[in-house]
Amino acid sequence: MLGSRTSSLFSLMLPLVLLVVSVSAGCGGGSGEESGFRVALLTPGSIADGGWNAGAYSGLLRIRDELGARVSHVETRTPAEFEESFRDYASRGYDLIFGHGFEYQDAAARVGAEFPSSVFVTTSGNTVRANVVPMVFELEQATYLCGVLAARMSRSGRLGLIGGIDLPSIRSTFLAFKGGAQAARAGVEVREVFIGNFDDTAAAREAALALLEEDVDFVLHQANEAGRGVFQAVAERVEKGERVYAFGTNRNQNDMAPEAVIASATLNIPAAFVEVARRVKQGRFEARPLRLGMASDIVRLEMNERLQGRIPSEVAEELVRLGEQIRKGELVVPRGAF
Amino acid sequence: MEALLEAAVRLAVPLLLAALGELIIERSGIINIGTEGLMLCGAFGGFAIAVASGSVWLGAAGGGAAAACVGVLFAYFVVVRRADQIVVGTAINLLALGATGLAVRALYPGMAPVSPTFGTVAVPLLSELPVIGGALFRQTPYVYLCLLITPLLAFALARSRPGLRLRAVGECARAADAEGVGVSRTRFAAVLLGSLLAGLAGSALSLAQSNTFTEGMTAGRGFIALTIVIFGRWRPGGIVLAALFFGAASALQHRLQARGTDLPYQLTLMLPYVLTLLVLALASGRSSAPADLGKAYRRESR
Repeated sequence: MLGSRTSSLFSLMLPLVLLVVSVSAGCGGGSGEESGFRVALLTPGSIADGGWNAGAYSGLLRIRDELGARVSHVETRTPAEFEESFRDYASRGYDLIFGHGFEYQDAAARVGAEFPSSVFVTTSGNTVRANVVPMVFELEQATYLCGVLAARMSRSGRLGLIGGIDLPSIRSTFLAFKGGAQAARAGVEVREVFIGNFDDTAAAREAALALLEEDVDFVLHQANEAGRGVFQAVAERVEKGERVYAFGTNRNQNDMAPEAVIASATLNIPAAFVEVARRVKQGRFEARPLRLGMASDIVRLEMNERLQGRIPSEVAEELVRLGEQIRKGELVVPRGAF
Repeated sequence: MEALLEAAVRLAVPLLLAALGELIIERSGIINIGTEGLMLCGAFGGFAIAVASGSVWLGAAGGGAAAACVGVLFAYFVVVRRADQIVVGTAINLLALGATGLAVRALYPGMAPVSPTFGTVAVPLLSELPVIGGALFRQTPYVYLCLLITPLLAFALARSRPGLRLRAVGECARAADAEGVGVSRTRFAAVLLGSLLAGLAGSALSLAQSNTFTEGMTAGRGFIALTIVIFGRWRPGGIVLAALFFGAASALQHRLQARGTDLPYQLTLMLPYVLTLLVLALASGRSSAPADLGKAYRRESR
């Protein structure tokens, strides 16, 4: 009898051990409790996405190397985890804590009120408190130019957008793309597909195929990791001899499908992170949104050199001219109110 | 229309393979909710081996083998230790998500590379058939695998000796045991075979439906496979129809959005799930789940 009870206890324990092992495998390592400038980063997804989260992580590593800070990273998936991780880092005395996305604002504001000596920076957003600010990337400036390029070059007059989840920051880059497209060519049609997450590469590919079936010949994605499925779908069509193109976003993704990605709307996220951290370290922090766009060279439209010959020279010149106007503030691109 | 059918079959295949695997396991009387995790292991194993070897075929085999190894773990707890099947299945799901995430970051710092992929292979003549030609015969080898194993499995379950044993164990383990059928051995084998199929399903995601591995890329397909088994009433034929139905709804969902309808995307994303629920509710009739499903078997207990 006793034997059977211990054996069933054992049977219950082992899965639990597995559970704990698997949960802890998902977390990054913390750091010690020593003094010095300490910086933490919360990302909403894997830092191996080759895009949004990877950029933040390499920014964190540059903060470590260039500013001599002690750094720590954790991946957080749910709002409850956002708050818990913010509170955890703040209570351990971290000076600066990044929440890498629009979705971190509420948690940052709540925890920020409890820990006035830590600075909380969310990547995009509009929530400002004494120690909570957003850094706002004006990626819209580059997606506007993508829209111009696509509309000028498209044969069908039909362009496609693929999003992960319908977040205001993503919606805003789409708005700018449409703005650019419609400014460049009246009557251009822009179709949108959302896949409902940022991980499902197969669904992103399927969404791209659905758009290509509808004669869309330019596709811009905002689906992080899943965006690789978009490149795959477009590259498959290119291999069959079709003139279809994709745009990379957040990072220079031109090499991920060199025959298909015509340009990337890039954010130099690492440089932005280092700039913000330097200001905080030197006590130059101000409680207002940090706007970072083409003027500061944080946002750029990077062309794929291998496909540059396909772009008619007058379109290339127009892009340069519009880019200049955006940098000087003469051209304000549409963006979502958030 | 042809493109829609092609997409429906393409999207149904991973679901079908995983659901057939789950069918084998459930017919032996074990409920395995770890299909999602097994698929993820298959997706990662398949991807890693295809990248290392340069061969998609080795990759697919590796995906099946990786999931089968995790299946051994599941079977050990559930069949040998008689642990709670739901708890172990949940642990497998969480373990797989963490372990594959850790492995992809450790093996490929920065970003997972692009893997070789299965292209579509057209079957001569048959692929020229009107309407269904492209959907059934201009596809990746995974589709042909399904065309092969589904009738085979249906026959095995209905007519063959191992199939009858499997069903006997799932319907009434005690009676099967009294007849001299090895309950534990049968269940262990069922879990192994079922996990292998789930792993192949996962490898279809990383090697045919995309060309890389991303964390959590199964995105709930393992759970859909569970409902497909119920929806298909624990019969291979029913499961094929259910998987195709779900594949068609997903294909339609993407195309509804791409056609520029004004529906909010959250609604179209729900479409496959809502349709499945509707059909489940409308298709009345008695449940045909194996009678001993989810019950651990102890010879000595009464």
